[in-house]
Amino acid sequence: MSIDPNIAAVMDCSEIERSVDAYLDGEFDTQERAETDAHLAVCPRCREWVGGRSAVRSALRASLRDAMGAATPAGRAPEALRARVRAALAHERRPLWRRALAPLPLGAVAAAAAGVLVVLATHGGVDALVDDAVRRHNSDPPLEVIAASVGPEAVLSWFDGKLDFRPVPPRFGGDARLVGGRLSHVREWPAAYMRYALPRGQAGLFIIDDPDGRFAPAGREVRVGPHLVRIVASRGYNVAVWRRNEIVYSLVSDLDEAALFQLVKAAER
Amino acid sequence: MFDLKQTDLTRDEFEELALGHLDPLYSAALRLTKNDRDAEDLVQDTFLRAYRFFEKFERGTNMKAWLFKILTNTFINRYRRSVKERNIVEGSEREAVHERFVSREASEYAANPEQYFFDRLLSDDVLRAVDALPIDFRLVVILADLQEFSYKEIAEILDVPVGTVMSRLYRGRRLLQKQLASYAILSGVLQEPEDGASIDLETYRRKRGKSA
Repeated sequence: MSIDPNIAAVMDCSEIERSVDAYLDGEFDTQERAETDAHLAVCPRCREWVGGRSAVRSALRASLRDAMGAATPAGRAPEALRARVRAALAHERRPLWRRALAPLPLGAVAAAAAGVLVVLATHGGVDALVDDAVRRHNSDPPLEVIAASVGPEAVLSWFDGKLDFRPVPPRFGGDARLVGGRLSHVREWPAAYMRYALPRGQAGLFIIDDPDGRFAPAGREVRVGPHLVRIVASRGYNVAVWRRNEIVYSLVSDLDEAALFQLVKAAER
Repeated sequence: MFDLKQTDLTRDEFEELALGHLDPLYSAALRLTKNDRDAEDLVQDTFLRAYRFFEKFERGTNMKAWLFKILTNTFINRYRRSVKERNIVEGSEREAVHERFVSREASEYAANPEQYFFDRLLSDDVLRAVDALPIDFRLVVILADLQEFSYKEIAEILDVPVGTVMSRLYRGRRLLQKQLASYAILSGVLQEPEDGASIDLETYRRKRGKSA
């Protein structure tokens, strides 16, 4: 390879000194490399010096590999750690509301990319909304309007004028069949109550108007699509609570967590 | 979009891909924390955080670099360095900048064939020398010379400019080299430099013992 004298003239010895690491680490682009090589070709002193640095660099890397590379005790994770990490990840995969009952290995982490199921916050204490909803759902007073006799659309219009707001239930999808509804309360606040039959079990939905945000959050917040959903276990029921503008939904069910999750997910997608 | 099955699938992939980097992550964690227990905790936290931030990971990006970034962030947050140590490191960095302009003769034993003493050093000495480096230098040396990340990758992992990576690496390598040289002298692999520089008593006796 012939050396372009113009290139050789571009670099001086002090530049070689300052850039030797980048050169040896392969960080130089073609032009920079060519300039350096051209200088080294005509400068024995730099050539010797760079050769020395190169040997040191290789020796240093080799000794690091020997001391802590993949084949050494300091470079290999103990088998127990591999098992431990796998177990931790498996734990992480369990449905959130099941994990809610287990101690958290770390503080809750927020990473709210859309569609990710993430615990956003954990609040202690009893949730009045949840407890009262469960109690009323459980006491099971007769429905005031039955879908089988008037049709599902008429159940919704039955509420017209009976409340200060218009209760619109979410679309739960094909698996949840509206059975009927009645007027109810959660604490002192009027609510619409709708009961759904599910392939396995049933669910009661409370719809409450809450423009002032009276319902202090308890339980864990989980993101489902664009919504924050709180999942609370109470008296053997699993309750999902979420908000759409000024309306709060409280879905009480005897479903297991996974099935309840699917239900909310289908509705709030 | 919120299909659990599909998410699980990619999470399986994630788990396998990520666990493939367990050894290098543990090895780095061990040098950062300097003890097994903390290193294991740090690695576990790293995987959990990676798992939770998984959605932010873009397919096709360098997962190893991404995991190292989480590891170092977790370490720095968890074991936040004291102000004192910070100052020492920054002081060393200023010194490093200065050192780049001093003459090559003074800078080290570079052209000396005895430089290749490294391969005759004990692993324990090498580990001790690495552990003795200030944390920022230790990190870049491990990332560059053991894990063979590029400057750009290291800059991204540590969230510092490439220039900072270069000066830390420059300084870190030379500090490490110096430290290893002193161990080499202690163990008799390397001759003490000329002109009556003082030698410690232990080395002196060992040498005497060998030649006798």
